Amino acid sequence: MAKMHAHRLLYEKTGRAIYISHLDTMAQFQRAFLRAGLEIWQTEGYNRHAYVSIALPLSLGFSSRCEILEFDLLSQVPLEEVPALLNRTLPEGLRVLSCYGAERPFKQIRMLDWSITMDYDSGVPEGVEEGFREFLAPEHLIVRTPPKNSNQGYTEQHQTPMVHRWAMEPVGERQLRLSCNLAAQEPSLNPQLLMETFSARYPELAPDFARYRREEVFQENGEIFR
Amino acid sequence: MDARLERILFRVQKPARYTGGEYNAVIKDKAQVDLRFAFCFPDTYEIGMSNLGVRILYGVMNGMDGVWCERCFAPWGDMEAEMRKADLPLWALESGDPIRDFDMIGFSLGYEMAYTNVLNMLDLAEVPLHTWERGDDDPIVMAGGTCAYNGEPLADFIDLFSLGEGEDVTVEMLELYREVRRTGWSRREFLRRAAQIPGLYVPSLYNITYHEDGTLASITPEKGVPPVVTKRIVQNLDTAYYPVKTIIPSTEIVHDRVMLEVFRGCIRGCRFCQAGYCYRPVRPKSPEVLIEQGIASCKDSGYQEMTLSSLSTSDYRPLAELCDGLLDYCEPRNINLSVPSLRADNFSMALEQRLQKARKSSFTFAPEAGTQRLRDTINKNVREEDLLRSCRTVFEGGGNAVKLYFMLGLPTETDEDVVGIADLAQKVYMVWKQYGSNRARGVRITVSTAFFVPKPFTPFQWEAQISMEEYRRRVALLRRSITNKSIIYNWHDPDVSYIEAVLARGDRRLGKALEAVWRRGGRLDAWSEYFSFERWMDAFREAGVDPDFYACRERPYEELLPWSMISVGVRPQYLWRERQQAYRSVITPDCRKQCTGCGADRLLCDRKCDALYPISARERHATEGEV
Repeated sequence: MAKMHAHRLLYEKTGRAIYISHLDTMAQFQRAFLRAGLEIWQTEGYNRHAYVSIALPLSLGFSSRCEILEFDLLSQVPLEEVPALLNRTLPEGLRVLSCYGAERPFKQIRMLDWSITMDYDSGVPEGVEEGFREFLAPEHLIVRTPPKNSNQGYTEQHQTPMVHRWAMEPVGERQLRLSCNLAAQEPSLNPQLLMETFSARYPELAPDFARYRREEVFQENGEIFR
Repeated sequence: MDARLERILFRVQKPARYTGGEYNAVIKDKAQVDLRFAFCFPDTYEIGMSNLGVRILYGVMNGMDGVWCERCFAPWGDMEAEMRKADLPLWALESGDPIRDFDMIGFSLGYEMAYTNVLNMLDLAEVPLHTWERGDDDPIVMAGGTCAYNGEPLADFIDLFSLGEGEDVTVEMLELYREVRRTGWSRREFLRRAAQIPGLYVPSLYNITYHEDGTLASITPEKGVPPVVTKRIVQNLDTAYYPVKTIIPSTEIVHDRVMLEVFRGCIRGCRFCQAGYCYRPVRPKSPEVLIEQGIASCKDSGYQEMTLSSLSTSDYRPLAELCDGLLDYCEPRNINLSVPSLRADNFSMALEQRLQKARKSSFTFAPEAGTQRLRDTINKNVREEDLLRSCRTVFEGGGNAVKLYFMLGLPTETDEDVVGIADLAQKVYMVWKQYGSNRARGVRITVSTAFFVPKPFTPFQWEAQISMEEYRRRVALLRRSITNKSIIYNWHDPDVSYIEAVLARGDRRLGKALEAVWRRGGRLDAWSEYFSFERWMDAFREAGVDPDFYACRERPYEELLPWSMISVGVRPQYLWRERQQAYRSVITPDCRKQCTGCGADRLLCDRKCDALYPISARERHATEGEV
């Protein structure tokens, strides 16, 4: 079983930082701790390095207000001082909101709130909300997900039970915002896959572009996960 | 962020290289800025961000009040296609603004095969390609770096070349730019005055004529323009700017670590090596300054890896003191210190063992030539017995892999020299058989050959490159000569090296060929997935250029070379004498054994060339067993 580490950061990833990959984001934090003079636990293998782990990988190009990173702080520094120390040493767009002791393992994460901004360059067409409701009807929502590696074939995923709730609202004349709560971890539903399936099924309602933002993390009972 | 760019970033590989926003990237208030400089690197972000020179000049320029230097790199093919489709002009990473609106655009030229990227980036930036098409409202386009010593092939596209080390001359140039702006801007006026600053070369102010046989007849500067432009150097590295606080990329780059430059120049005088002559004189940095800057750089960057850099780090006199000082800081913090460019003498081998936490199994040596005669010709002061002794140390220490680098096509090379490479590799194998501490594991000896490219400002600048057919014949001969299964032979394709040879010693008539190859789709030519030999040959034909004239022709001493208006400090007569010594297979001792009067020490104002200081006992001991 994966070891639970003692401390966590809640941070946001926005702006230009959304193009930093998952692995590179970890490297940024490893370096940020060193820059800030904060000693954290290092791995003990051949190539020793500062250990950090991120709860759920975030796809390249997605922003988030609720990223969680785990580590073991060795320096004798009050946890409430850690965000300010780190924020001076992080690249633009990565901002630590709080630092606290870990209480529950990452595997308890079950749901994520997402905000999806859909751009319609020539104005929002009629009936997107209705179309989306129809799209989510149980008999429709089986999607083929691409293989994770060459040994696997396409797998079929029934998505309806993974969309827990959703709402749509206009943002001006050319944008819609879809807020939804989706399953995370065993199984996970990637919102981009959801949008791509919707766009393929309803090409006339497909947005020209969509932005994805993680808004909140939950555990099974609906409580916010930290 | 530009809305078009936002959508594109979703579709391209490694988008982080196009977005900026890295730790320590400099953001300035545009209202407080009166001079904007786009520092362009004509290759990808990963290559460009690994260049220490880029980081130094970025820091120097941004240290100036009112100057904002931003970065720009060549887009990969997928990004270029998207940019052209979306009509998105090339932008600078820091502000995201199009670089066509900047005051100056500067390219760093480290490799001839990046020339097509210069043209492509100017085009993507929507800046007029040719110097004569640019008006007073267009940016000044300049270039520096090693290739600027013979930037003639780019003379149609570059307004101004900066020669040598840019720390001081860049500041002088930007101050001149401001002054001319203040007193009534004219592009021509700026370029004329820039030509008066030592180290700045303005090709359009030199008229070139040719003989009927295609060789240069004359180089005539306009009135008042200096006939020879001498490169600039930093006099004192201890007080020169070093980027302790530097950009830490948010994505992996090639050299993702602290780079500590211990000295500039080289005492060795390998006759094929352009850097060895162009970076003279030798100027060290004191170990105290290096230790302080190394530690500060680790603290600021958060890197857990540091490397010492120079042309031949073993020749840094206080190397042991420096490593001790750095290791005191690095070891307890698990920061890995690496010291490449070591000669395989006893001292260096001991240092290697100390630096490696775990035993290193693979070592690389560059004897460059297979026989002692040819090694003496190229002045690579490596003796076979020294190489074999170093290999013995490697094998006794548990190593089981040795890489040996050679060049084929060196001046005076015979078949005996080619076969000599196979013989030398076999001797290394026999050393392993005799001394290998773990023979059950076997051994891997890798022989690699590159195709020799004669470069300007070396004793071989007058030489013909051998033909590609001849190179292939020598490769085949060497392949046949290697029969041992433990010896692996890799060779470079000659195509790129041939084009490199054309460009390295080219003149400004090559501009048409460069333009033709770029118009035919040439870009990212340093990358094998983009390079097309046929495209280059078609472009040469279209431009009426005979590439053999540049690559495969031996030049007589009297010939006026296209780079004759440039001086790197080393006298041409010295280079010619070295060439004659090469033909006699006579070695020239390294600068510390004896000053051989290359002339580069004249560039120093109030300091002695480091090579002139007396040799220490440690150095004498070390050089006795050098490879």
